[in-house]
Amino acid sequence: MIVPYYHVLLFAGILFGLGVICTLTRRNLIMILLGLEIMLNAGALAFIASGLDAGQIEGQAVVIFVLAVAAAEVSLGLALITTIYRQTGTTDPRCIESDTCELE
Amino acid sequence: MIEANIHTVTFWTVLLASMPPLAAFAAILIFFRGRPKVSAGLSIGAIGLSLLAAAFLLMRYWNMTAPLSHTGQWVCSGDLSISVGFLLDPLNMLMLAVVSTISFLVQVYSLGYMHGDPGFSRYYAYMSLFAWAMICLVLSPTLVQLYIFWELVGLSSYLLIGFWHEKFSASQAGKKAFVMTRLGDVFFLMGILLLLTHIGSPDILLLDKGTPVAGLTPMVAAVGAMLIFGGIIGKSAQFPLMTWLPDAMEGPTPVSALLHSATMVAAGVFLLARLFPFFSQSPSAMMLCLSVGTVSMLMAGTSAIVSRDIKQVLAYSTISQLGFMIMGLAAGGYEAGVFHLTTHAGFKALLFLCAGVLIHRHHTNDIFEIGAKNGRGLSPTIAALFIGGGALSGIWPFSGFFSKEMIMAELAALHNPIWLLAGLAGAFLTAYYTFRMIFIVAFSSASPGATEADHTPLRSVMVGVLGILSAITLVLGFFQDGLRDFLIGGRLAVGTANHGHSPVLLMTALGISVSGVLLAWFEFGRRAAPKTGFVERFPALADFFAQRWYLDRFYRRFIDVVIYRGISFYCTQNDNKIIDGGVHRLAQAAVGVGRRAANWHEALIQARLWVMVGVVLVLLAFFVYQVAI
Amino acid sequence: MTPYAVCFYLLAVVIIMTTVMAIACRNMVHTILYLVASFVGTAMMFYLLGAPLPAALEVIIYAGGIMVLFLFIVMMLKIADEKRSGQRAGRFALAGMFGSIAYLSACVLLHLLPGDAGVAMKAAFAEPARYGAFVFHRHWLSIEVISLLLLVVLIGALLLGIGDRLNRRNGKEES
Repeated sequence: MIVPYYHVLLFAGILFGLGVICTLTRRNLIMILLGLEIMLNAGALAFIASGLDAGQIEGQAVVIFVLAVAAAEVSLGLALITTIYRQTGTTDPRCIESDTCELE
Repeated sequence: MIEANIHTVTFWTVLLASMPPLAAFAAILIFFRGRPKVSAGLSIGAIGLSLLAAAFLLMRYWNMTAPLSHTGQWVCSGDLSISVGFLLDPLNMLMLAVVSTISFLVQVYSLGYMHGDPGFSRYYAYMSLFAWAMICLVLSPTLVQLYIFWELVGLSSYLLIGFWHEKFSASQAGKKAFVMTRLGDVFFLMGILLLLTHIGSPDILLLDKGTPVAGLTPMVAAVGAMLIFGGIIGKSAQFPLMTWLPDAMEGPTPVSALLHSATMVAAGVFLLARLFPFFSQSPSAMMLCLSVGTVSMLMAGTSAIVSRDIKQVLAYSTISQLGFMIMGLAAGGYEAGVFHLTTHAGFKALLFLCAGVLIHRHHTNDIFEIGAKNGRGLSPTIAALFIGGGALSGIWPFSGFFSKEMIMAELAALHNPIWLLAGLAGAFLTAYYTFRMIFIVAFSSASPGATEADHTPLRSVMVGVLGILSAITLVLGFFQDGLRDFLIGGRLAVGTANHGHSPVLLMTALGISVSGVLLAWFEFGRRAAPKTGFVERFPALADFFAQRWYLDRFYRRFIDVVIYRGISFYCTQNDNKIIDGGVHRLAQAAVGVGRRAANWHEALIQARLWVMVGVVLVLLAFFVYQVAI
Repeated sequence: MTPYAVCFYLLAVVIIMTTVMAIACRNMVHTILYLVASFVGTAMMFYLLGAPLPAALEVIIYAGGIMVLFLFIVMMLKIADEKRSGQRAGRFALAGMFGSIAYLSACVLLHLLPGDAGVAMKAAFAEPARYGAFVFHRHWLSIEVISLLLLVVLIGALLLGIGDRLNRRNGKEES
């Protein structure tokens, strides 16, 4: 016997919320991407817990897709970030298209 | 209207009278700017041709009974038809002769006066332009054509007043003259347009039929006449717009003699005489003319008695005499006004040219300084000055006497005696200030060391011109009856009453003039004279007169307060704040909104994420609510 | 409380601590290192929840692959540290508020939903062989789609890198 299911869910929720905070508050494209990774990770955890709770392997099966999507997203995202950085010299999301960068 | 049927000889003569000055003007400006002698020759030759043509016309049509006009269609639009061409009647021909004679004499005189001036060619070009414009103005058969040349005359006046444009005051005076006469011209144009819209033709003969014109109610006719009189006020420097003329004395003296005394300013009076039958149909307009003429005459006369500048004295006397002519015309004395116009042209040109000689010799405009340098001597110039002054004051046997008597007779025929009294007061003032000037100039004791300054070449030319004009002044008065018959001959329609000379009036007027002269002699002329006028005992009054009744100051204040601080200020404010500001603010608002809107779709990923999170929160709250219920 | 439960809570605390440190850290390299620790902890939790294969994949792909990739990029781009500013604290506070509201409402939701939420789960273990067979048997189409996606991403990333270089070369030739 481990822990009740919803304890795991709550923990995954905390993790997801941390990811959201990271995405919203950091002025850096890389950090935004990292926040997304944290959120995906929390989601994967919730899937595994639900699989265990239901006694089925289905939950674990989804995790592999989550991982694949995360990998794809990160590689493409990082490629984009490097391109943007080369063109604009910054990774601040506000500076890339708008001219309000210097205001802060 | 009498159409065409004019011999080709007349046609070519009129062309010869009007066109040579234009050709001279163009030729001088294009080819001979650097060759003063050629320019002067061209210009004088051209105006000489005009003079000959005018004399020929005058002789040919001395006994004319009906006006001749030769016109061609110019504008024809709906009911409106405007023609161009020329019109010959006694008034036109007389004026043509006056203009060409005075122009010719002044141009000859200028050979001496302007000798050695760097702008000699330019001067003659402008003089030719003026002569052409003035001659064409005189010959105009329609108001529209007259208006065109009216403006051209104004232009050449502007150019000649500001001839020495290096001098700041001269260019300012030119500007002032131009703007003030323009102000009157706006009324003139409005009057022309009003008549055009009601009659459909600006034909002068149509207006001058002497009977009410079809399509013109008395009200409209009166308003039109008053508006046209606005143009006359501007051009002839009458009461509200008179201050430009004294300032216009900044120009060369021959210019003052020609434009600002003899011919151009007389164009206003000429126009009044030209439209005399039309004006005489609206008594209210005639009353306006009469009052304006009277006020101008008295104001200018009082200003003249304290002025120290010889040319300004003459300028004021011009205003005063023009006012006197307008009085005469408005009182119904057509030939009286025109006759005074003619004689005035002669003796005023004479006076100005005398003043020109004095100024040229002594290099100052101040009468006291001229007097001091001149000493108590009698020279041909001083003699001419006396002749001109006598004519101006209305002393027998000079020409001014006869024309003034005619106007006085007309004034005496009016019901209200106040006009006659005003006329007599004006005559007294005129005699007083004229001889004040002459006595100061001629009979001052010479200061030591003041001798003849320099001997100008061509002095004899100038003095010769003075002689001719003196002769004209002396003789012209005795042609009074012949001229009157000639003038009346062409306008049978005009019912002008011929008021005979009453001996009492004749004696009164002459006595008043002589008393003015005697007062001037007592104060300025005799050896022990105090050399101060009676007005100068009252400094406030003298100052009031010297400041031209504060008319200029009033204009300045009026312009400052009403135009600059009132209308123009609010217009500027409106322009800057409301129109420009509105557009700017609208543009700024658009840009601002655009920027805000652009921010939403720009790279602000995080902003979008915030929104997304917010929406998710709302959804969550919704689920909680659903489940809880 | 079973040893499993103790392990779970310990792991949870460690993961949350490291993630918070990662988010709050200003130095990018430190952030990534903290996240590696966080992911390793998550992998152990996967293992605890009876999923050995995902746990291994988590370590390999996340902690080993993705994070190293991040590390490379961070070091390559020489990104300046974020400047300290008042707004940052404000943003954190706002985000924290949002997060806590969401979290509380989620808790409420979990409590209200039907089901025996309070019962502890039984421990189980999915053998990798069975797991693999299940995935390929049941989700073969999804696997194909995912592999296609990975291929597309591969080509896309390559194109981005090369295209950039191509652009620069063209620019040089033009200039």
